[in-house]
Amino acid sequence: MSNSGSAVTLIGIFAGLLLINIARAVSRKHFPFDSYAKYTCLFFLSFTICELISFSVGIWILALVSFWALREYFSLIDIRLQDRLGILGAYMSIPFMFYFILIDWYGMFIISIPVYGFLAIPLLVTLGGKETEGTVFSIGAIDFGLFLFVFCMGHIGYLLFFAPWKAALLIINVAVCDVTTHIVRSRIKSTWPNILFRYLAPLPLTIVITLLLSGWTGIPPTHSLMLGLLIPILVIMGHHTGDYVKADLGVQEDSLFPGRGQILDNLKSLFFTAPVVFHYIRYFLT
Amino acid sequence: MKKLGDISFLRKLAHILFLRPLLKLVFGVNFIGKENLRNLDKYIIIANHNSHLDIVLLFCLLPVRDIVLTHPIADEDYFSKSRIVFRLVDFFFKPIWITRGKPDHAGDPLGGIKEKIDNGHKVIIFPEGTRGKPGELQHFKSGIGRLVAQYPDLPIVPVFLSGPERALPKASSLLLPFWNHVIIGPPQVSQGTHREITQSLEGILIGLSSSAAARRHKRKPRKKKYPPLIACLGIDGSGKSTLSRSVAQELSGTSSVCLISDRLEFYEHGDHQGIQPLVTEKLREVIGGYAKKAKSLKLYKIPKLAELLLRDHLLHEVRRWYSPDIVVMDGCPLLNIAAWAVLYKKDPLDNETLIKAMTILTGEDLKTRQGDPIFVRFPELSYLRRMKLNKLMLPDVVIFLDVDPTVACQRITARGEQKQVHETEEKLCQLHEAYLQVCRVIQQQWRIPTSRISGEDTPENVASAGLEFVRRSLNVEN
Repeated sequence: MSNSGSAVTLIGIFAGLLLINIARAVSRKHFPFDSYAKYTCLFFLSFTICELISFSVGIWILALVSFWALREYFSLIDIRLQDRLGILGAYMSIPFMFYFILIDWYGMFIISIPVYGFLAIPLLVTLGGKETEGTVFSIGAIDFGLFLFVFCMGHIGYLLFFAPWKAALLIINVAVCDVTTHIVRSRIKSTWPNILFRYLAPLPLTIVITLLLSGWTGIPPTHSLMLGLLIPILVIMGHHTGDYVKADLGVQEDSLFPGRGQILDNLKSLFFTAPVVFHYIRYFLT
Repeated sequence: MKKLGDISFLRKLAHILFLRPLLKLVFGVNFIGKENLRNLDKYIIIANHNSHLDIVLLFCLLPVRDIVLTHPIADEDYFSKSRIVFRLVDFFFKPIWITRGKPDHAGDPLGGIKEKIDNGHKVIIFPEGTRGKPGELQHFKSGIGRLVAQYPDLPIVPVFLSGPERALPKASSLLLPFWNHVIIGPPQVSQGTHREITQSLEGILIGLSSSAAARRHKRKPRKKKYPPLIACLGIDGSGKSTLSRSVAQELSGTSSVCLISDRLEFYEHGDHQGIQPLVTEKLREVIGGYAKKAKSLKLYKIPKLAELLLRDHLLHEVRRWYSPDIVVMDGCPLLNIAAWAVLYKKDPLDNETLIKAMTILTGEDLKTRQGDPIFVRFPELSYLRRMKLNKLMLPDVVIFLDVDPTVACQRITARGEQKQVHETEEKLCQLHEAYLQVCRVIQQQWRIPTSRISGEDTPENVASAGLEFVRRSLNVEN
């Protein structure tokens, strides 16, 4: 009974997000969480498909999101002509990593990028040409993108493998934090009150949501409480890092559009939350 | 006729079902200003050209009904290299094939294009002619202006493509997914001569290229920080050695200064410091001695040139081994050689030739070919270039000590030393003029701060005037 209830809820959330997106597309007007709704909807599409139809299709949708995020990042950074081979390597690592999730090979999933990816890319970058100047920066920039947008995003996929609701919980909590951050940001200017408020404001919601969903996620109440306390901090960290990266890449807050920081802006809260929440759950609950 | 219709239907289908989804899913396409193309039933699209992907992107932009009615312009020779490629390009885009440098049967190179426009078709033109360097807009060819001048009412839609130069650059055959931004400007109706039209269209595309979507993160280039070089110029007897020494001494109060005069000296905290000797310096002293003792201008020339080249080399060594904050130089090899060249050639030199010769001496000139007339006029330049000795440095600040040649001659006589061959009033007059010309040229061409100070004042006044100018110029640079 609870099983069908969870599925219905997932579909309900997905349908709701889809409606928002359709309304947005039809009305051609600016909504406050325009693109955010799009990517959240994509995540829930993946989870719903995973729950109802097939795990592998759900995973490949996440892989596609990861590819889009990486593509946008690579479009923004300054690359040399000879870095192209390294970039090809970075793109190629996406199917491999998501395939390891699909076949539940945890050991390989966790080392594929930090070991083999990060060894292969410097080699590929140096094989690309004879110019030595800028090699270190190129390797750094490509590796960083691969780490954030493929490796960190990939953790959502493995969370999905544990249970669709575990991944859904993460996305819902992050969305709650993001929305409050968006509301608070412009209102409170000074740093510490701002951070404190950004932590405390979503806290009741995240705790209540995690506790309420603990029946479907399979996370016991104590750990649900811990996750509820943990996620807002991680979101703040992700925002901080993401904002610096965005500023350096020349992305302006008021002119985000596809290919210019939109995905980066929407996924920045997942950089920290996805891996840490995944490892929390894996360490304590499996 | 029936068959033709089928093919155009297939082409439409291929675009809608294959090319467009592929481009959007794999590469990502972002249109900005698509409303500019709405409600236009006749137009020419002009765009910048960096990649083979450009044309696919532009077809993505078109309304569905226009897909089969739009034609790019393509070089037949280039695409005929492979039969399959030719067929594919012809199927997808149905270009107007042209051959470079060969007008069509009617004798008009634009004939084919005009025929299509007259039939109500749309044309895509890359006015740069060919794919340029990634991210750079080349000058437009005049063809676009000539064509547009004949259709004064036809709207021209300027499009700037940002992204394809990374997805498929000219220098690479590796196709990679990168976002493409297609920025569509408002339609233009241009009037005027074909030159004016070409220019105005180029200006519009440059304007689009600076829009926010095309802006891109740039890695900061590593700046090589050299100590600034201050050169004291003047004819013999103008007191430039004295000036350079006092400038070096005064500047060394706050920073380390190296003085390259007849001797190499190093100053720190206002004092003369002992330094490790350099072999080049010894060599230069010996050769400089030869030059001073020379009996005629002809014999003077070679040792003096060698001395100047060594002096320039010394500059590199000083930077490397002593790493001073500032280098002060009595004279400046590049400017000295230039002035002497003016002196040796009896006929007056125009500024353009002088700039050309000096650019060759700095080693930054890559355009001038071996057969250039300047090498006939100055065979020395050719020798220097062949021996790769043409890497002379330009100074950062120049002080020219202006002294009347008669006064200079008197001063030299008063020294009581043996006179050098060129130290006659007539030669010094010419040299004075030559230096003035060189100073004018470096000010105009390289924007190097140059000050002309009268050297007939007392040495103290000259030094303070020089110092003030140097401090001001160095501050401006920082």
